[in-house]
Amino acid sequence: MMRTIFVLLSLLCLSCSSDSIISSEKTLLYKIYKDVIKTKPASSPSKDINEKILYDKAWLSKFNYPIILLSSLDGKNTATLVALGNYKDKLTWVSADGISVSFLNGILIATRGYSEDLMESQHNDLNTLFSKNTKKRIKKYRYLNGENQYRELTFTCTVVEKTNTPSFFLDMKLETTKFTETCKASTTGHTNEYYVLPNTSIVLKSKQWISETNGSINIYNYYAFQNNLF
Amino acid sequence: MFRNRICIFLNLLISVLLTTINEVNASEGIYETPRILNTYGMPGSIDTPTAEVFPEGQFSVSSSIFGGTIRTNLSFQVTNGVTVSFRYARIPSARGNHRGYFWDRSFDIHYLFNEQKKYLPSIAIGLRDFIGTGLYTGEYLVATKNITQNIKISGGLGWGRLSGKNNKANIFGLSNERIAFSTGFGGTLHSNHFFSGSNSPFFSLSYDLSPRLEIIAEISSDDYGMEVATSRGFKRRNDVNFALKYELAQGFSLMGKLMHGDAIGLSGTLALNPRNNPYKSGIEPAPLPLLGNKALIETQSLMKSDIFSESAELLELDGIILLTMKIENKFVNVEVFDRNYLDVSQMIGRVARVLSKTVPLSVEFFKIKVVDYQAGYSVSKIIIERESLREFELKFDGPASLWKDVQIENASAGINSSFTLSDSPTTWSFYPDVDLLLFDPHFPINGSLGWEATLSYRINNSTIINSSVKQPILTALNEIKRGPKSGLPNVRSDFMFYYRDISTRPYISSLTIDQFYKPFKNIYGQINFGYLEMMYAGIRAEAIWKDANKPYAIGLDLASINKRNTYGDFSILSNNYSTIIGSVYYDFQSDWNVQLDAGRYLAGDYGTTFSLSRNFNNGWEIGAYATLTNVKFSTFGEGSFDKGITLKIPLSWFTGKKSQAYSKSVIRPITGDGGARLHLDDDKFLYRNIARYGERSFNKNWKRVYR
Repeated sequence: MMRTIFVLLSLLCLSCSSDSIISSEKTLLYKIYKDVIKTKPASSPSKDINEKILYDKAWLSKFNYPIILLSSLDGKNTATLVALGNYKDKLTWVSADGISVSFLNGILIATRGYSEDLMESQHNDLNTLFSKNTKKRIKKYRYLNGENQYRELTFTCTVVEKTNTPSFFLDMKLETTKFTETCKASTTGHTNEYYVLPNTSIVLKSKQWISETNGSINIYNYYAFQNNLF
Repeated sequence: MFRNRICIFLNLLISVLLTTINEVNASEGIYETPRILNTYGMPGSIDTPTAEVFPEGQFSVSSSIFGGTIRTNLSFQVTNGVTVSFRYARIPSARGNHRGYFWDRSFDIHYLFNEQKKYLPSIAIGLRDFIGTGLYTGEYLVATKNITQNIKISGGLGWGRLSGKNNKANIFGLSNERIAFSTGFGGTLHSNHFFSGSNSPFFSLSYDLSPRLEIIAEISSDDYGMEVATSRGFKRRNDVNFALKYELAQGFSLMGKLMHGDAIGLSGTLALNPRNNPYKSGIEPAPLPLLGNKALIETQSLMKSDIFSESAELLELDGIILLTMKIENKFVNVEVFDRNYLDVSQMIGRVARVLSKTVPLSVEFFKIKVVDYQAGYSVSKIIIERESLREFELKFDGPASLWKDVQIENASAGINSSFTLSDSPTTWSFYPDVDLLLFDPHFPINGSLGWEATLSYRINNSTIINSSVKQPILTALNEIKRGPKSGLPNVRSDFMFYYRDISTRPYISSLTIDQFYKPFKNIYGQINFGYLEMMYAGIRAEAIWKDANKPYAIGLDLASINKRNTYGDFSILSNNYSTIIGSVYYDFQSDWNVQLDAGRYLAGDYGTTFSLSRNFNNGWEIGAYATLTNVKFSTFGEGSFDKGITLKIPLSWFTGKKSQAYSKSVIRPITGDGGARLHLDDDKFLYRNIARYGERSFNKNWKRVYR
């Protein structure tokens, strides 16, 4: 019996294929079994880069192309994204490890590469959100469920504006206008924060919600600083 | 009259099933409820049913043991109201034909026809063991009401086995004598006895001690007549059962129980809902973003002048191979193949994005043909307007708006020989192999563990030599005790001779030359010649008519084959058989697919196979089939006719990464000679692979086009 088990284990170790597709599929399959045996939860789909970097003007000056920085709320995981898409004021930023975020006027409108992507969103006032006293707004977020059908969340939001809010960017302290957007849908809610350059609609920094699975992220619009605005 | 009522009831039930077939409305966020299962794998307390249902789509595997009884159940929530279950049970009985036990298969159906309201309870009706030998046969009407958030009561009336104790006069005014029926060889539907004879009440009360822990008491009317009459069973001291159910993790629960004051037992339930994809939209890397004209011109000025190689490199990053590219005025025609993406819409979206980045702005339309890697032909050609792709990329309802401008056409006939589909003509693999055999009363779970080596040689784009050699190393399949069935030529039921003679020797599982054809733009064909499966060698031909824009197809499958030597070597026996089977396929707009086959089967019998499957729009497939031929049930023997359950599980569901790999299992309760066909791998059948590139397939997954 021991000999048989030894032979079987040897066969498992010798498993291979000349076809890279078959080989990767089998590897993924074994990984599932391995995770089940180890009772390890499914691997997190986070796209994290752990870096200990001092984000200052010197660091930013190394980039000769537009960048933004995404960060988890605890600041432990960050990723630098470059602009690769640009169509009718919609900017899409892509990270090296395969996530992308799209913005219109600094507002997150779509993500790709997260496990629960914000596939589509509908806002009725994106052009005026930071330019007038918007008190209430409605927005719709769409996700794909497990069967590739839409799961739609309709949020009713209240927006509170607070002027002269000091905020830190790189190694600078700036006065900003802070907009706090509190949104509620039937099953969930979130609070977004936008730090906007006074008297403009340029969002310098924001905390924006993606989805229930992925929660919120901090977004640092370093592109604004690369444009010699400061 | 009562019989008519039952017929009306059954018709209504079928109507309800068909009308609710499109409903997809499980409680948002709740996909698995393992604690609702009773020992029969159906919605219930301990042994008794309750008027509840599982979340739509839930697939459960449960096993229960107590007092000599073992029940293993596969349950599926077909629609919001309809639950079905297949069971394999060991039942202690003095008449038991396997060392004092019966090993019995049975099917249940449960329909919730009234959901719980503020003051009214939910009400359900159910048939237990309605296709089978009838050892568990019974019917019930049950109502359930949540008194508080934590307390739930259920009460109902049971007939048949559920009227063993405390029986009262039949509430329909019928005789209190249960109508007798002959189950014959099992596996057939008898309805005359439904709700006949006396009926008995049953009750249950449950209390949630915590969100995970539930305590249950019930009064059961099942007298366990067979089980208490043998020393292998238990003593039924009273009518009461007690249990504690604990949900250990999402989708997994345990139940400890005391049955009728005597037998202590344990049940385990694993529930999984294919709709509850853990990776939602997937974790594949983001696609290439789209650019406005100014940025595009700047980007293209930095690219290589060779548009083909630039496009091919970008597509290869997504695992898609660009085969040909031809720019003609406003159109770019490309041919690609892909072995990674399960969703063709997502793959097409990625191809279109790359083209929008690489081809000159003068190109306004992308015509994309996807070449099937296995067959070498293209099924369809999809035409996407470049500006629409860009315009709707980040818009609300973008995919739906884009879909209006998309055209899908049948691809031209023939196999394109201007490219080669693989770098190397030879591919091989070497992996462990598991072969499982279920439902043999001597070895209810039997199988072998060994290795499989495959070797393929691609002669050209449409001709491949495929081979597979297997060797069981650890096996009990060579000890199968039962013999072949009598009455028909042994075309399948003598399978045990192959396992016995192969034992732990290496054998040729298959060795075929496979030739694919596309003689017309709607006609697809293949010929397989050689050692087709463990038991047969010969020639098989399949042809299918399928229009890319139609949800249906027709096909013909012919085979002329000889039995192989039982040692699995190159020898072929003189017994010659043939099959001629015509097929009609229909893919409903909902997730249901139907296939009807008719013709001559292996043993020379004539009949039809009806297959119904629920195709979740993520690669999962759960289905069932039944074959009825002109072979008498008595001639077929145990089980009466060939039937089975199919289960297809995609790898990408578990990983969130792009992959077309899947595992397919066919659970055949009975192996007989009537209605027998060749046992071929799934990829040896053309239809699914053709339908994958059809309009309906694109449409169903189109929301992923921008993913």
